[in-house]
Amino acid sequence: MLLDPRAILLFGANVLLLYLTLLVNSALAGWSIYLFLLGPMLVFPALYLRHQSYFICVLLTGLWVDAALPAPFGLFTLGFLCAGAFVFQMRIRFRAEHNYHPIVLAHGLNFFCILLVTLALGTPNFSSLGFWFQVFVTSLASHLVLLVVAPWFFNFERMLFALCHMDTEPEDFPIL
Amino acid sequence: MAKFRLDRIKPLVALAAFLAAWWIVPATVKSFLKVSFAEFQAPAWVATSYLDDLEGFWARRSHSKVELIEAGREVARAKSLYQFNAQRKETLENEISRLEAILNLPSRREFRYEVARVVRRDLNAWWQHIIVRKGKDYQIPEGAAVVFAGGVVGRVVEVNAFTSRVELITSPNFRMAANFEGDERPVIYQGLAQGGFGQPIGTVRDAPQDVVASRQAPLRLVSTRLGGTFPPGLMIGRVPWLEPGSTGIFQAGKVELDPRLLSLNEVAVLIPLYPIDLETTDAP
Repeated sequence: MLLDPRAILLFGANVLLLYLTLLVNSALAGWSIYLFLLGPMLVFPALYLRHQSYFICVLLTGLWVDAALPAPFGLFTLGFLCAGAFVFQMRIRFRAEHNYHPIVLAHGLNFFCILLVTLALGTPNFSSLGFWFQVFVTSLASHLVLLVVAPWFFNFERMLFALCHMDTEPEDFPIL
Repeated sequence: MAKFRLDRIKPLVALAAFLAAWWIVPATVKSFLKVSFAEFQAPAWVATSYLDDLEGFWARRSHSKVELIEAGREVARAKSLYQFNAQRKETLENEISRLEAILNLPSRREFRYEVARVVRRDLNAWWQHIIVRKGKDYQIPEGAAVVFAGGVVGRVVEVNAFTSRVELITSPNFRMAANFEGDERPVIYQGLAQGGFGQPIGTVRDAPQDVVASRQAPLRLVSTRLGGTFPPGLMIGRVPWLEPGSTGIFQAGKVELDPRLLSLNEVAVLIPLYPIDLETTDAP
């Protein structure tokens, strides 16, 4: 099959996560708190899908995020594909059936995304203390919220697989 | 010797191929992709905004009749005041036009106000943007000024079919000409990276040496007609302190902006009635 139907479900879940995050950010704007929760979007496509489906899912997710956020177009698409390729290369080492490894991966990938956007957009403000303070607050708030959101999101994705009668095991599942 | 397996590096090969393709692909294709994805997302945000309006409507319906009558009275008082002000404004406008005609002054830029609901706020260390619920469908032009009851909000940076993206004056990428109230000499206002948890701030540069600001009597920084985007006299913020700038010739200082900028619900986009035709203007 050209495209694993789970890729469509994962893309839909990513769209929902981004929409909810932006909705919460819009409400939190008055308190100067911003949540950056892109890390969990890459975990399941990289751990569960075959390469072709993973690639299409991550590419569409990257383009979707790029269109939604005012970063240079292509930044998240390329960033997601680079990070995704790294995780995909090493996916045999991770256990996707429990939440522990995916959560650790989500935090790592989220930190990578924050670093990426800081390097791409924050260069003129590197000398500003206020900028670094806000990046620190954003990172801290995002990773604290991620502790709750990531398990929910992964369970939600598994629930979608079960509801749609799809395979709930990753492809190339390692037999130990 | 173990056989080299290409499938082990398949993700990296695919990534390299995609990077090469992305580099080669023309900018128009990327632009088309961006616009397509953005337009595809817009209805969800517009629908959310309408749902917010509906929520507000039902919340107001739950108010008691006494509260509504009291609110109606307040609106009636405000309306009569605004009607009086409108008459006064018309008289003053006529007087200004008469004087301009006598003095043979060049005509001023006129604007049409398009009030728009804020659909989304994206305020963080990297960008300071809001999205409003009007776009090409209301002839919103790119670069148009955006204002609210407290003064300048920012500038339109991206226009889609039904939404527009506005860069706030708090953004470090935002810069405009300004002047202190009662002093026609131009200064430069620029946004700053926000520290968070406090009042939004900006910075003012190139202020003349003889301008004095203090915490007791802060200076009001207002927009100027230089640049052509903003009408003159719109409030930007207050400057409580000025100190010698890096050159030593001019002064610089922090600008305290209106805290309501962080929680805007409605703004007005200023659409020039007669856009400047640069080709005709530049012609000798």
